[in-house]
Amino acid sequence: MNGARCLLRLQSVGFLAPSVRAAVQHAALLQPATALSQITVRNTCGQALRRFHGSPGCYKSQPVPTDPGEEHEDRVKKDKSLITHDDLFERVAREAKTKATFNRVVDVFSKRDIRRRGHVEFIYAALKKMPEFGVERDLTVYNKLLDVFPKEVFVPRNFIQRMFNHYPRQQECGVHLLEQMENYGIMPNVDSKVLIVQIFGDKSHPMRKYQRIMYWFPKFKHANPFPVPVQLPEDPVDLARLSLNRIANDLDAKVTVYQMPCTDISESGEITFPHVVGIQSPDQMELLAKHNPNRPVFVEGPFPLWLRKICVYYYILRADPLPPEEKVEEPYDPERCFDFPLQLDLDLDRDMGDDDSFDVEDVDEGPVFAMCMTSQGDQATLNQWISGLQETNPILGRVPTLFRLEAGPRELQGVADPGPGYREEGEEEVETDIVVEEEHQRSQGVKQ
Amino acid sequence: MNINRLIALSRSVKYGEILTSNARHAAKEVTLPHRTIRTHARDLAYAKDLFLGKVNKAECFPYPEIRNEELEEINSFVAPVEKFFTEEVDSKRIDHEAKIPPETLNGLKELGLFGIQVPEEYGGLGLSNTMYARLGEIISLDGSIAVTLAAHQAIGLKGILIAGSEEQKAKYLPKLASGEHVAAFCLTEPGSGSDAASIQTKATLSEDRKTYLLNGSKIWISNGGFADLMTVFARTEVVGEDGVKKDKITAFIVERAFGGIISGKPEDKLGIRGSNTCEVSFDNCPVPVENVIGEVGGGFKVAMNILNSGRFSMGSAGSGMIKKLIEMTAEYAGSRKQFGKNLSEFGMIQEKFAVMAQNAFVMESMAYLTAGMMDRPGVPDCSLEAAMVKVFSSEGGWICVSEALQVLGGLGYTKNYPYERYLRDCRILLIFEGTNEILRMYIALTGMQYAGKILTGKIKEMKKGNVGVALEMLGRKLGDALGRKVDLGLTGMDGVVHPSLADSAKKLEQNVAHFGSTVENLLYRYGKTIVEEQLILKRVADVLINLYAMTAVLSRSSRSISIGLRNHDHEVLLANTFCTDAFFKNNYWITQLQKNSPENQDENIKKIAREVLEKRAYVCSHPLDRTF
Repeated sequence: MNGARCLLRLQSVGFLAPSVRAAVQHAALLQPATALSQITVRNTCGQALRRFHGSPGCYKSQPVPTDPGEEHEDRVKKDKSLITHDDLFERVAREAKTKATFNRVVDVFSKRDIRRRGHVEFIYAALKKMPEFGVERDLTVYNKLLDVFPKEVFVPRNFIQRMFNHYPRQQECGVHLLEQMENYGIMPNVDSKVLIVQIFGDKSHPMRKYQRIMYWFPKFKHANPFPVPVQLPEDPVDLARLSLNRIANDLDAKVTVYQMPCTDISESGEITFPHVVGIQSPDQMELLAKHNPNRPVFVEGPFPLWLRKICVYYYILRADPLPPEEKVEEPYDPERCFDFPLQLDLDLDRDMGDDDSFDVEDVDEGPVFAMCMTSQGDQATLNQWISGLQETNPILGRVPTLFRLEAGPRELQGVADPGPGYREEGEEEVETDIVVEEEHQRSQGVKQ
Repeated sequence: MNINRLIALSRSVKYGEILTSNARHAAKEVTLPHRTIRTHARDLAYAKDLFLGKVNKAECFPYPEIRNEELEEINSFVAPVEKFFTEEVDSKRIDHEAKIPPETLNGLKELGLFGIQVPEEYGGLGLSNTMYARLGEIISLDGSIAVTLAAHQAIGLKGILIAGSEEQKAKYLPKLASGEHVAAFCLTEPGSGSDAASIQTKATLSEDRKTYLLNGSKIWISNGGFADLMTVFARTEVVGEDGVKKDKITAFIVERAFGGIISGKPEDKLGIRGSNTCEVSFDNCPVPVENVIGEVGGGFKVAMNILNSGRFSMGSAGSGMIKKLIEMTAEYAGSRKQFGKNLSEFGMIQEKFAVMAQNAFVMESMAYLTAGMMDRPGVPDCSLEAAMVKVFSSEGGWICVSEALQVLGGLGYTKNYPYERYLRDCRILLIFEGTNEILRMYIALTGMQYAGKILTGKIKEMKKGNVGVALEMLGRKLGDALGRKVDLGLTGMDGVVHPSLADSAKKLEQNVAHFGSTVENLLYRYGKTIVEEQLILKRVADVLINLYAMTAVLSRSSRSISIGLRNHDHEVLLANTFCTDAFFKNNYWITQLQKNSPENQDENIKKIAREVLEKRAYVCSHPLDRTF
């Protein structure tokens, strides 16, 4: 008995899968006749299955068409819907791809036929189209799609149904929908749960999937200690502020806007000033103040920083690490603290058993004194930053500042709109780059 | 004991002779009566020896006494002062108006309270440390007055007293002692608490090399608003031995009359509101070179000595305050009825009184033991003991005042009763004269340095794998583990502790021995890097404070029984209770100091703090937050 049922089920599944795929993929191309025949096959098969282990309640909720006329009508509708699954979206997409139009398509489908024939195909098609309509991260839309499934039909009614894969194709579709939500990081809500219970019952595969999502998602929700806001600021200055604070990771660091983006229309024409936003912490200021003025500082960049789907670029002001001969350790001053000795005058070191420090090979990288972001990374703009820094760090007036800029990756930047002068500037930079390198080498030579 | 004193005296005399060649006043100091304050350190000290697991009983036993004449003398001082404080001082008004009325100040001056420790030849009372502590008990009844007087004489004029030249003393001390001039101590700066390197006030020598010009500003200067004379610490350029110019701290006596001194607005404080605290700025204030205290560039030592010598009196001040509070709250607890019973019949209320009595007793014992040690002939260095007294009494005082307030419940919280004022006033004790955290560092590190010097050789041998030393160590540990009785000689044949306190003395001995081996172990494990281990140092300091407190109560109550003081049985009770309590606390802390001790949560504590401080906020999500 069991074996026979299994066999039948397998048969039907095996039968279905290719046919559906074909139907979905080639529906538009196929001639109505072929489509029709395939659907019939599917239908009969499904019905056979239904009869085989359907309960009487099942008949009530989904009456099997007996009247040939009705059946025919149904077929025609089915036929139509099959063709229009993709097509429906395509047609609407011609007007506008928005959430409203997407919802309208779903509504149209739901209202067309009380039995929701072909809903699995429709849902697969809809899921595929979601990113196009920009609703792939919209929970309400997913719930609406779930709502397309007919309710209570697929809920197993006895232990035997429960034991086997009841309505596998539908369940698979439901799991697929949840999987897509998962991939986009959308967490289902109570509405989704209610829908799933109504559609598939409370121990079905989609329900299990739902439960797994609900187990892991909340755990991972705050796993990132440095979350990037979902909505990144539109304003480049605000965006720069956010990104600089993110890189600096110092609560004392202060962001300074050296120049707001503006357009100046004068006789000579339109001049666009890019924004220049910098960040510097008190510690960095202290480091810079202690910097040996005979050694140059470098402006380097651009370095990329990804924030979700946006890539921004930043520049740093840094120096070479101190050569070992210039490192001076502050000698211990016994008259430093009024109240207690800061060091003990003992010839005993920490015992090896209590030395918990790791043996880390430190690569001396040299200090970074400040960072900035600008939409236009040419030397003139960055000079503006340096002269702005000079107001709070007077030492910069005495330190040779060298620009080591790369022209490279700025083309990738989606935000910046390269103007007509863009190329020229880039070339200019390359030139300065070379000069700068020479100068740098010279200074090194002098040192040596 | 007498022989011991004689030896100490003869030693100090010899010491003095040596010093005459290079120090100006050393010889004079030694010949002066024992009440003067000395600056040079005597080697032997009780607390440091505890780090080696030794009880130097000659230092603390028997409990120091004063002569009958001195007792009469001090009682003759105490009576009028007590009368003045109960009748003339209106603490509530002082607190409310944030000002000590002039007539009160005049009364204090007439009583001579502005020059308690100034020698009689300069017009002061010339009292010893012990007597100063006794007067402190009464003066502390009003926090504002106590702080004003302390700022004047415990630190303000102390610089002249301990390091000033004869001319400076003759010129300034008489007016200061009479209260005609008020002194202040100017060390703290906006960027510098204990850090001498961040002192920004500069003193530059003028062209004619006759005056220094002071520039800079000092904050939180008690009496800063009206002080006529200030001890100011500033940077001066000093040519070192190697010919390199260096900035060093120098102490100056600065008169307000020199000009260029601006006092800021008085700070609005939580407690001690009647005392004046404000910022003092110096703008090209000319100070003649003869007003340098000590040597140019020697200000650091002066500052340290002043700070170290001023702390011991806080113990008696705290106990004076608590004794008063016990009287006041006991009256309330004895008369207030609840459920037909007096408050005093409830166990939880009784406990509060026991806590207060015990704290007052311990503080008092520690304070007078320390004062007595300081008054001994010779040049004792009691800064460690004084720091311990300060830490213990400031924290005990805070707890006791809070408990006293609790006895009254809601009433204590109102301004109708003085408890809230006491609570606010005594909060400062944990902060000023070196915060308790800093003093704990001082206590632990000074001891560690002392023990480390002696133990270095042994520990090095051990690290080298010297079998003999290691075996000795092992044997001792085994002995400890098998419960060998420790005998440091407090009880028994040559015992100094009364038999009724023998159990407590044994506990002390056991703790001391255990502590000694712990210190050795810590030095073995951390060496000089122990400076970084503040949580360990804190426990070391806490254990040491308890050990010293135990010693003090044992010594005091032994004496009381022996000479039959009134109510000595109560003292024995208090002493035994405290010692048992402290014994178990010490055991716990010492256990925490062992390696890999499960009681030790330091790593977790540090981690919690690190995570909070990284975010600079409370880290946890709100309990009502949801993720879905």
